[in-house]
Amino acid sequence: MVMNRKTMSIVGVAAVIFAVFLVFASGCVSQGEDAETITLAGSTTVLPVAQTVAEIYMDQHATADIQISGGGSGVGATAAKEGTANIGMLSRELKDSEKEGSNLKEFVIAKDGIALIAYPTNTVSDLTLAQIKDIYQGKITNWKELGGADMKIVLIGRDSASGTRSFFTEYVLDKEDAASTMQEYSSNGAVQQAVAQTPGAIGYVSLEFVDDSVKAFTLSGIAPTVENVINNTYGLNRPLLMITNGEPTGLAKKFLDFILSDEGQNIIAENGFVPVNV
Amino acid sequence: MNTHLKSGWKETGIKSVWLATALIAASVVVFILGYLVLTSIPIFFETGVSGFLFNSVWNPTGVVPSYGIAALLIDTLLVTFGAMIFAVPLGIICAVFLAYLAPQKVRDIVKPAIELLAGIPSVVYGFFGMVVLCSLLQNVLDIPSGFSWLAASILLGIMALPTIVSVSEDALYVVPKDYTEASLGLGATKWQTISRVLIPAAASGISAAVILGMGRAIGETMAVMMVAGNAAVIPSPIWDVLSPVRTLTATLGIELAEVASGSMHYYALFGVAAVLLLITLVINLISVRITKKIQSGGSVFSIPAQIKKILMLCGMIFAVCILMYALGIIPTLILTVIVFGLFFLRRIMSHKSIERTAFGIIYAGTFLVIGILFVILANIFINGIPAISWEFLTTAPRNMGLEGGIYPAIIGTLQLVGGAILLALPIGIGSAIYLHEYSRNNLLTRLLRTGNDLLAGTPSVVFGVFGFAFLVIFLGWGVCMLAGMICLALMVLPTIIKTTEEALRSVPNSLREASLGLGATKWQTLKKVVLPSAAPGILTGTILSIGRAAGETAPIMFTAVVFSKRFISMDLFDPVMALPFHLYVLSTSVPGSETQQYGTAVVLICLVMAIYLVAIVIRKRFQKRLL
Repeated sequence: MVMNRKTMSIVGVAAVIFAVFLVFASGCVSQGEDAETITLAGSTTVLPVAQTVAEIYMDQHATADIQISGGGSGVGATAAKEGTANIGMLSRELKDSEKEGSNLKEFVIAKDGIALIAYPTNTVSDLTLAQIKDIYQGKITNWKELGGADMKIVLIGRDSASGTRSFFTEYVLDKEDAASTMQEYSSNGAVQQAVAQTPGAIGYVSLEFVDDSVKAFTLSGIAPTVENVINNTYGLNRPLLMITNGEPTGLAKKFLDFILSDEGQNIIAENGFVPVNV
Repeated sequence: MNTHLKSGWKETGIKSVWLATALIAASVVVFILGYLVLTSIPIFFETGVSGFLFNSVWNPTGVVPSYGIAALLIDTLLVTFGAMIFAVPLGIICAVFLAYLAPQKVRDIVKPAIELLAGIPSVVYGFFGMVVLCSLLQNVLDIPSGFSWLAASILLGIMALPTIVSVSEDALYVVPKDYTEASLGLGATKWQTISRVLIPAAASGISAAVILGMGRAIGETMAVMMVAGNAAVIPSPIWDVLSPVRTLTATLGIELAEVASGSMHYYALFGVAAVLLLITLVINLISVRITKKIQSGGSVFSIPAQIKKILMLCGMIFAVCILMYALGIIPTLILTVIVFGLFFLRRIMSHKSIERTAFGIIYAGTFLVIGILFVILANIFINGIPAISWEFLTTAPRNMGLEGGIYPAIIGTLQLVGGAILLALPIGIGSAIYLHEYSRNNLLTRLLRTGNDLLAGTPSVVFGVFGFAFLVIFLGWGVCMLAGMICLALMVLPTIIKTTEEALRSVPNSLREASLGLGATKWQTLKKVVLPSAAPGILTGTILSIGRAAGETAPIMFTAVVFSKRFISMDLFDPVMALPFHLYVLSTSVPGSETQQYGTAVVLICLVMAIYLVAIVIRKRFQKRLL
């Protein structure tokens, strides 16, 4: 029994230390009662834009706590509507079913280009919209048909609920379905990583996910760059939205004003995203 | 007389408390299933039950939306089947080694090490699979993409291993020493004793281990989602292990977040969750029946042998198919002939050489298991250690997690796990005590037990779906810590109940009878005699639960976490950051963050291991006292 007590007390002491640690740890960082908190949720495409601006905003306003989570465009709409987030983020327009029975306000905070990407050593470098459509519908299955190496094309795309995918389906595939062998990933980053690892792959991602690990195709000769999206010469571009349920108030309003201000738009441009007010 | 009455009331009161906890645990699963089915009703009006189940086209956002889940169903079964073929034999081999062949010193090191490995979170496996395994498969097999059924099955098999090894080893170890002595005394060899006496004697525990492992595999979301390729197609031909597949769980993980709530697609996803839950329920019921048959004796030897034969046959056919695909027909034929030759050779071999061969296989298998786990850990630690710095551990993330640290995620994970265990432990232990110590074998008990068995197999993502729909949206809590704690608590509850019951069962009845015979009340007997003896087992269950809770992503990703948050909060209705979710977002959405990904993985693993170590040390002390 002695051993038992001793062990119990060890467990007890450990628990107490853990609790004290938690309290101490929270005391270290939290900023007292006057901190104002808002939550943003939604599209993984809008998330990096929001995150970048939010960090600078929080640096300027010590009591502001802006919490940002992903999820997806659907979550963005639901969360704003149900009040589980103050601001929803969407990379597609609101659907009619989502507009129903609520007073959602939309703000276009930035633009986004969709780039077609491949493995860095792929020798094909330009595609037309028609070619992309044929590739994604399984009519072109080998890179040699496009003048490249003899290599099977591996289709990589987004999941069936993604805003990026619905845009791609609408503007590239003319609302027709992609081949069922297309591998599906749940975020831009996952598509980019899969393409970067797969020599025969083709994928589509948001502009900001184009880096050295992949090669971006020019679209009928026009490169997917920030400038080309701003002046609309690059064909595949779309607005990025933030939505609120009713007129925004408090920190949500201040934050939205900040994003749409010249300073906010400059931050967006400086970080490789596409501003909407130039 | 008065004291007698008082203690009678007290006894009844205590019994009702246990009964209440048991009722909570068992009714949860009914409630979840009911809620999912109710929510999914519109999709069945849209497509009909057979149109939903037997149509193989899943294209909910197509021009003509199609909500058929046949392909998802088949893919789920294939992936799980592949994982079990890989994990069950290796797991049992490893357990036999640890229980009977390993010197005590080796066992003392390897057993806790493997338990630590059960705590490697699924998202870490997924991360490893994405970065290492898929590229490896792609290069070695020279295929266009490594994201495939094979990758998913291997990864799931590896993930199920620690659970299978740890729980079967427990079962093998507690077989009374008399059995061994009797068998050896009759002149049996050591291998005959192990294979004919000890393994059958531990069969119920081993099947519990396999069920737990299978539950982990079939319900796994994150790892599968990260490596399976996620194309909703049925492999063609059906044994094409290199085809991309998409499981039911991955469909939920990928699409639930993006779908517009209230749309037909939303209802279809609840249909998927309900079907997923039903499948696991059926599998569970079947395995529970098997376990029961083994326990009821009589047919102890014949039934496992039959099942073993069927399983072996399936496994062989499957292996031949894979080999044919990978190597071509002729090498496969040669290999098959060699294997069959060895099989017949066995008949004419002496007992000694059979024993030597068997032990050789066991050593090789164990070595393989430890090797695999070592490679994973080495890869993560070698790449992750350089990322760790004081700043990384103590500051909030900046610039999409590319700068700054993960401090809020560390605290958030501790909060979530702490809350979940606080919720689950009393209910779990109470429920197990009721089931094992108080209940008679009547209808109520059988229902409670079935409820627990069903809860045990419920995939973790289902708790996430349920939590999202019920706690976050229906109750209007929003994404918050409490919702995540509840989801995690529900998830670990059956593990705690099962291992606690197993521990209570291992306490000899003679101890209870002695205590009662000395005039102690039932509660006194429990408190002073049974529970202290069962404590090591209960702690093992808790250890495994903490490991699972700390690493799970699926139940919290829709209910409790945000990607970034600067301040720590103690409010249960605030969202938190969590390490596994942070790693998931970094590795799938933030290119160029490899250093931070590995760093986060290392911290997550270390955190889990630290919790484990404390618990393992405590258990060790208990065991010393008992023996």
